[in-house]
Amino acid sequence: MTHLALSKISKDFGGTTVVQDFNLDVKKGEFVSFLGPSGCGKTTTLRMIAGFEMPTAGQIVMDDVDITNQPPNQRNVGMIFQAYALFPNMTVTQNIGFGLQIRRESRAVIKQRTDEMLALINLEKHADKYPYQLSGGQQQRVSLARALAVRPQVLLLDEPLSALDAKIRVSLRSEIRAIQKTLGITAIFVTHDQEEALSISDRIVVMNAGEMEQVGTPFEVYNFPQTRFVANFVGSLNTANAEVTDPAKGLLSVGGVQFITASDLAARKKGEAVRVSIRPERFSFLSEHKKDNALDCVIENITFLGSVVRIQIKIGDSNFNMDTFNNPFLELPKLGSKEKVTCSKEAVLVLDE
Amino acid sequence: MNQTSDKKRGGKFWAWFWMILGILYFFLPLVATFLFSLRAKLGVLSFTAYQHVFNDSNFIYNFSYSVLWGVLTIIVGVLIFVPTAYLIRLKLPKFRLPVEFITMLPFVIPAIVYVFSLVRTFSQPPLLIVNSPALLVAGYVILSMPYMYSAIDTGLRAIDVQTLTEAGQSLGAGWGTILFKIILPNIRTAILSGAFLSFAIVIGELILAQYLVKPAFAPYMTYLIQQKAYEPAAMAIISFALTWAAMGIIQFIGRGSEQGQIAGGH
Amino acid sequence: MTVQNVVEQGAPQARPASRKLSWAWLGLTPFFIFTFLFLLYPASTLGVRSFQDSRTHAFTFKYIVQLLHDPYLLGSYWISIKISVITALGGGLFGFLLAYSAIRGGLPKFMRSSLMTFCGVASNFAGVPLAFAFIALLSPSGELTKVLIALGFNPYHHGFTLYTFWGLSIVYMYFQFPLMVLIITPAIDGLRREWVEAAENLGASSFQYWRYVAFPILLPAILGAVVLLFGNSFGAFATAQALTGGQINLVTIVVGSQLRGDILSDPGLGYALALGMVVIMAFAIIARALLQQRTERWLR
Repeated sequence: MTHLALSKISKDFGGTTVVQDFNLDVKKGEFVSFLGPSGCGKTTTLRMIAGFEMPTAGQIVMDDVDITNQPPNQRNVGMIFQAYALFPNMTVTQNIGFGLQIRRESRAVIKQRTDEMLALINLEKHADKYPYQLSGGQQQRVSLARALAVRPQVLLLDEPLSALDAKIRVSLRSEIRAIQKTLGITAIFVTHDQEEALSISDRIVVMNAGEMEQVGTPFEVYNFPQTRFVANFVGSLNTANAEVTDPAKGLLSVGGVQFITASDLAARKKGEAVRVSIRPERFSFLSEHKKDNALDCVIENITFLGSVVRIQIKIGDSNFNMDTFNNPFLELPKLGSKEKVTCSKEAVLVLDE
Repeated sequence: MNQTSDKKRGGKFWAWFWMILGILYFFLPLVATFLFSLRAKLGVLSFTAYQHVFNDSNFIYNFSYSVLWGVLTIIVGVLIFVPTAYLIRLKLPKFRLPVEFITMLPFVIPAIVYVFSLVRTFSQPPLLIVNSPALLVAGYVILSMPYMYSAIDTGLRAIDVQTLTEAGQSLGAGWGTILFKIILPNIRTAILSGAFLSFAIVIGELILAQYLVKPAFAPYMTYLIQQKAYEPAAMAIISFALTWAAMGIIQFIGRGSEQGQIAGGH
Repeated sequence: MTVQNVVEQGAPQARPASRKLSWAWLGLTPFFIFTFLFLLYPASTLGVRSFQDSRTHAFTFKYIVQLLHDPYLLGSYWISIKISVITALGGGLFGFLLAYSAIRGGLPKFMRSSLMTFCGVASNFAGVPLAFAFIALLSPSGELTKVLIALGFNPYHHGFTLYTFWGLSIVYMYFQFPLMVLIITPAIDGLRREWVEAAENLGASSFQYWRYVAFPILLPAILGAVVLLFGNSFGAFATAQALTGGQINLVTIVVGSQLRGDILSDPGLGYALALGMVVIMAFAIIARALLQQRTERWLR
């Protein structure tokens, strides 16, 4: 059941196209993330849903009502801003009650609803404080409560975690997700942080230069990137130039070293130049068990990242990164030593340019 | 942002409306004065009045003295207020309130009242310095203090005094070096903006010089108004052009920096 | 240890804060000596001289009593307060609208920096030159008057004169509204765009945004600015003196004539009048402080 439909949305700013031909159907209760680098049009798209920007072309339909030209104060969508945007002259309670006050709800209703919201974000003790007396994380929770208090049809979040510390960012992110699931509210979340998008979303829209690159679940977007941009932007990735040596068997040559891929090479010619991509965690040392590719390599560098150890290896003339889980009881290879690594043929992706 | 709804267009209309009203209010008196100053010769528009002003040795004499007073005021002001504001920012926040209170006093005490009590105090023994130009300069320093001090303080707020001082200390600099080689150059925009405001105040200030009987621009112009018709108009335009130039220089130097500027007194 | 020593060599080392503090205050002595000598002490004589007979130097309340009973003197306070309130409110409103138009009105960017330069100049363009400029514009033979007469409207036939209360108010506005623009600009800059958007997003109209968000946030700054404007006009002397030659009985002009020392004047009365001005300014500032306390609870 489609709850929010964007069809053929475009936006120009004085001749520059910021968003082009954006199509998306969002289901009720779904959590969708717009992921992309800054300037990719994700925030502009969000602001068009909120009504702060008018699309140059296209249509926005919410619950079968065309809201494309509705002013922002008549749309029933809640917005969370990166910089909290709490009203500094109002207490936490007054901030949360603002939307209800504007809607001329009775005092009793406002009281009951703000109490409910304070309990939801767990800030009952701070009800009478002013925004400056709260930490960033607390302020953003108030801003969430303020947006939810008016029971919006859709919740829009514009990089709500970017201004926070790393720890708070992670805990608030799961809190947002939990609240969203409890209330069953449709949410659209803008971020440039791929880890954030992967962890929180039902679906991710990867955007670049005003266009949609790929739409899919976090699992699909991460494991089966459809374009080189997506593969590069979501997660870390090794890429190398390669040459097709046998289209039928899926054989490639990367600097003289033979790789086998599960990607379909049928349409390609022998000798054609392509790019291959392999995620670092898809490599493993051969001693465990052999997969499709068994490759000789030299250990170039080792970086300890906590739960993961990143090892830079050289296969032929090409450098690759390989991630292994940290295991205190397993000895790491020595720098400069020769090892054998392996990866499955599904891990070797051949991408469109 | 790029919306062209009726509401926004209406807002833009009013913005232009107020702006044009402001521009008219600002320029009409100046245009009138300028036109008037060109009427020294009957029937034609000419720069005769300006020629008279620039050939008037009294004008040159009084005006140069005003410039001298202005420069002295700025030097004394910087020497007193920079170390004070710096020490308060760095080490003595407890003194912030009393010092700020004192620096704002000239706002509260009407200039004419202040000038008379100053003159009275220093015109009887043992403080008989009423004839010394030092008293005039001291009075100007006090009158321009609210602007000078707050300009310097704004400048210090914009730089990280603590870090700069510690960086200086770690390199072995003494207090004098830190103050004059590190802090001062870093707040020169703020000091300049305070300096030009002080300058404008000194040029326009009437009563202090009048009652201390010292040569200065404003008393001379007042005198001239009673004597002549067109020359004072020319002088008003000249003094306006000078204030404008000073402000232009502040803007030019302060370009890109976000320091506040305050207006002068009357 | 002399001040010089502290300033020049007072070794900048890591010592306990308390020991540093004990010497650092010496660096403030030039400031305190200077302001005591040339500001605090002379100003305090004001209080003394208001209660001292000008001739005999005996203690007396006669000036204060005279002040409170003389309708002419009380009238001069009233006129000064009236013109200050009117030009502070008028200049404050107009200055605010101008600043808001320039910053948030969607005008071209250069308008803003030009306005700031204009205001820097205009707020410093006062006294004799300003009076002269308005004489050239609006006196009976002024340029604008001539144009208006040519259009068939002579303002001097409709009760307007430049040399009385309303004329002087118009002249004062010339330095009041630019001062307002300069003071209020940082506060308007501080209004964040997200607040409008958050309010709109929660259903507020632009009137409701102003009523509940922008106005309460700006109120402390506006109050502060208006009191400053009040003081700016309350203490003005040269402009009125040059424009009307002492025709308007402003309190500064009365003080001036009493202190000048001509035959009819009495310096003691002048000082008492001046003391009254300081009291009025003090009331204005205290009122502003109380109002600000009520309006800016939410400030750090």
